Amino acid sequence: MTTLALAGVYRSFGPIEVLHGIDLELHPAEVHALIGENGAGKSTIMKILGGYLAPSAGQVLLDGRPVTYASGPEAEAQGVVVIHQEFNLAPDLTVAQNIWLGREMGGLFLDHRAMREATQGLLDQLECKVRPDARIRDLAVSDRQMVEIAKALSRNARVLIMDEPSAVLTHREVEVLFRQIDRLRSQGVAILYTSHRLDEVSHLADRITVLRDGAVVRRAGRGELTEDGMATAMVGRDLKDIFPPRRTSFGPVALEVRDFHVPPLVHGVSFTLRRGEVLGISGLVGSGRTELAEGLVGLRPHHGQILRGSAPAQVRSLPEAAAHGIAYLTEDRKERGLLLTKTLRENLTLSTLADFGAPIISRKLEDAALTRAISDFDIRAPSREMAVGNLSGGNQQKLLLAKTMLPEPEVIIIDEPTRGIDIGTKSQIYHFIDRLAREGRSVIVISSDMPEVLGLSDRVLVMRQGRVAGELAGEAIRETAVVRLVMGTSEEISQNA
Amino acid sequence: MKRRQLFGATAALAVMAGLAGVAVAQDKTHVIGVSIPSATHGFMGGLNWHAQDTIARLEATYPQLDFVLATAGEPTKQVADIEDMVATRNIDALVVLPFESEPLTGPVKAVKDAGKFVTVVDRGLSVPGIEDLYVAGDNEAFGRVAGEYFKANLPSGAKIVVLRGIPTTLDNERVDAFEKAIDGSGIEVLDKQHGDWNRDKAFTVMQDYLSKYPKIDAVWAADDDMAIGAMAAIEQAGRKDEMWIVGGAGMKEIIKRIMDGDPQLPVNVTYPPAQISTAIELTALKYVSAAPVTGRFIIGSTLVTPENAAQFYFPDSPF
Amino acid sequence: MRDRLTLSTLGPLAALFALILLGAGLNENFLSAANVTNVLARSAFIGMIAVGMTFVITSGGLDLSVGSMAAFVAGMMILAMNALQPSLGVGLPLALAGIGVAILVGLLAGLANGLLITRAGIEPFIVTLGTMGIFRSLVTWIADGGTLSLDFSMREFIGPIYYGGILGVSWPIIAFAVVVVIGEVVMRHTRFGRYCEAIGSNDKVARYSAVKVERIQLLTYVALGLLVGFATVLYVPRLGSASGSTGLLWELEAIAAVIIGGTALKGGFGRVWGTVVGVLILSLIGNILNLANLVSPYLNGAIQGVIIVLAVVLQRRKSSAEGR
Repeated sequence: MTTLALAGVYRSFGPIEVLHGIDLELHPAEVHALIGENGAGKSTIMKILGGYLAPSAGQVLLDGRPVTYASGPEAEAQGVVVIHQEFNLAPDLTVAQNIWLGREMGGLFLDHRAMREATQGLLDQLECKVRPDARIRDLAVSDRQMVEIAKALSRNARVLIMDEPSAVLTHREVEVLFRQIDRLRSQGVAILYTSHRLDEVSHLADRITVLRDGAVVRRAGRGELTEDGMATAMVGRDLKDIFPPRRTSFGPVALEVRDFHVPPLVHGVSFTLRRGEVLGISGLVGSGRTELAEGLVGLRPHHGQILRGSAPAQVRSLPEAAAHGIAYLTEDRKERGLLLTKTLRENLTLSTLADFGAPIISRKLEDAALTRAISDFDIRAPSREMAVGNLSGGNQQKLLLAKTMLPEPEVIIIDEPTRGIDIGTKSQIYHFIDRLAREGRSVIVISSDMPEVLGLSDRVLVMRQGRVAGELAGEAIRETAVVRLVMGTSEEISQNA
Repeated sequence: MKRRQLFGATAALAVMAGLAGVAVAQDKTHVIGVSIPSATHGFMGGLNWHAQDTIARLEATYPQLDFVLATAGEPTKQVADIEDMVATRNIDALVVLPFESEPLTGPVKAVKDAGKFVTVVDRGLSVPGIEDLYVAGDNEAFGRVAGEYFKANLPSGAKIVVLRGIPTTLDNERVDAFEKAIDGSGIEVLDKQHGDWNRDKAFTVMQDYLSKYPKIDAVWAADDDMAIGAMAAIEQAGRKDEMWIVGGAGMKEIIKRIMDGDPQLPVNVTYPPAQISTAIELTALKYVSAAPVTGRFIIGSTLVTPENAAQFYFPDSPF
Repeated sequence: MRDRLTLSTLGPLAALFALILLGAGLNENFLSAANVTNVLARSAFIGMIAVGMTFVITSGGLDLSVGSMAAFVAGMMILAMNALQPSLGVGLPLALAGIGVAILVGLLAGLANGLLITRAGIEPFIVTLGTMGIFRSLVTWIADGGTLSLDFSMREFIGPIYYGGILGVSWPIIAFAVVVVIGEVVMRHTRFGRYCEAIGSNDKVARYSAVKVERIQLLTYVALGLLVGFATVLYVPRLGSASGSTGLLWELEAIAAVIIGGTALKGGFGRVWGTVVGVLILSLIGNILNLANLVSPYLNGAIQGVIIVLAVVLQRRKSSAEGR
């Protein structure tokens, strides 16, 4: 018996067909994972299932009967609920107002109390400490994701479609999310789950469908497919070496930071970084990782000492950081990294425009730089004149990396290098980072993705509540050790445990 | 400061001023509210100047009189001004130049119904009989006097263009009277468009007239601001000798040129901004003298010629 | 970015072309040198201001005060020239002094707007709504409710700034053309123009790309103030006067021209030559209505309104096409 299914679904945008005859079945009390690289067609399938897009050909079947929804809300009325990756929350309304938007309780007058209490109940289930009357605008990204999940839970869904819900969540929040998924599954809800984290998929999924280039390439039940097997199926080739081999020799100290404060979030951080070294920074969201990085490049007011080589460096602004050869790649590529409506060329040269001729910008130099960036970083764009917003996430990230590397910085701080990116591109980016280090540059990688930190770093700095909780190097870099430092459980207790 | 005696109501004023002289100062302070449109163009600028000047002089002369002056850029603001005067300043009399007739009729009637003395200036209210005193220029005469000059000084078949003001009843009255006056003269009105009593707008409209009509004998610009804009356009086109212009309202620069015998500006027609002074003075008389002050005072429009222009020239007025 | 020949690019040009055909068909004097000169010269004031406005809007700002600012600058220029006339006499030094005052006052007024917006962090709409009222009241007050007029002899002397020219092309048209060419080059081919577009499309990205966002924004308002000063230098010689009604609603005409020309009102994309087309469209509508008695001139505003809305509809079409 299936709850919701696609039968022979095709979908085209203009002349381009992006789905070629998809069959997919969601069963009650099962988690069905849909995996594939960016651009494989996952989002389109979820939009069709959720009633946001109509198939060009083929059928959507609900309880075995063909349905056509006019809109997402109509699908929701039938019990098909989507948790969007791009949040559908009104930033100026409160958590409770958002959750009950369009279905407010009460008659002529709203029953604010009932809605607040119901909201509190949902948030408690998710172990989310957000207040029901907090404004969405003031929430961290991970809390917004939890609100989005709470909103979906309040819908009493029969079918729940989750578009990478864990992408912005911390370790602990992901665990809570998994418990909720287990609970819903046991209540008979059919769940479609997507994620780029393959460990999550093998942990959660009862059934796996692998998608490549708009077609299903592999179907498997629980335990039939290893993580390597999934990756190979997604990419279509063997992916033994997701991570590059470790580097073995390092140069002199390139950057030293002493007693560095970024009020009010970062306190007394000190560390060194050598040439040719990759330093991983781990920690929960909110532990001060991003603030530390933004302080180091002058985006936030700070005090403390920064030394480049042995000379003290004053870094009060991005241009000053650039003058000292320090560059920062933001974690928020859509809101802080790239101008989504502008072309590749305009994005690439934005932060180094002064090098492209003054007063008249040389179009020739710009084009040459873009050509070089496209080949150096394997950026795949259908057209050089297209808006960057229409590129896939992976290609956007590669372009952002190219933009950051344009002034040839010696110290590169990369915040979340692979968030929301498919496994193939991830591996490419890891190799780019390795290449930078082997060229003698120093790289700091800030990441919530544990395998990434473990696989890339020569040394790991763990931050907790704005301070350095510990530093691990060489063989000591193990998941358990990192997690212990991240969570703040003491060495002895965990050893006993 | 003797300029305000020169208009049509001179005689009446003189009599009353005489009476005012004998009036005995009273104990009670009277408050007179004055509500006028703000100085958005030259004529209104002159009117504002005259209002302030008169108030300053009357307050100095009569300590028992208090004045409240408010200027408004639009009818809604004027209504609010008047309501505030009644509610918070406890006025005894209101002198009002309505921005527009319709929207002000109700509020002014409410003031009247509250037992206040009401003087209406320049633009009548929609309902007759509300005001105690009505002081106005003669729009009909303003158009007629100009039209008669055109009829007398242009041959049959002459071609003229007209620059009208902002579309209002007042503008319609002037233009209708002008057309009636030239009726039967054989003068052809080529075009009449709105210059909005504004120099820039009149300049543009006149430029386009000049492109459109190869032959123009005379221009009637129903306001001196527009006359100045039109003259600049004519000068630019190099057609200064082809046509003359009659403006209106007696702006000082224009009067000066008539005095000097400028052939381009043979005459002008008065429409005195000082009518507000007449209205305020007459209203004041009610409280400083025993004279009965009611009725209608129409200040005629006079033809200004090089011979009599000196009487109409006030170099220190802004208009 | 090279403009592709889309409907939204061609729309304003097609409208301009249609208006020219219409005008030529209705009145044979429409294409005469005199009328073409008139239309271009009278477009020059708003045109120069609109070029400055293009930069402000492209970088995500707005300036409602330019009309009042023009009146204020004109007032100050006349006041200064009348005051200096006894000491300098009628002649070139006095004319230069007047021009200097106009440009300086325009620059300072733009600087005031810009500093309030970037340093005090107040919304451009609010700041310039405030200064709009302030500038206009100041000029009315200085003129004592009436009209500030330049001394007649001086007016004769500087008249050629508006009416004169070289090779039959009048100065306002030449100045306008120079401003447009410089504006187009700056917008398309210099860092300043690129930064304006970047800030307008996402100021956070610009900030994270080492762009000095506040400084660029400040510069757009200063440049606009400067252009208002230039426009006033051309305006004053025309009639030699300024009053409370000088430059009334110029801000809206300038903004409308910018939008008709294809610049996005929310910022991020600017097109200087489009702004010129927009300005010409707006002037031609008035000119044709005056020349042809086609419809009641009361409807001038309505026709301009229809064109503005149509222009934005075309922009919408374009952006939704890009959305996919």
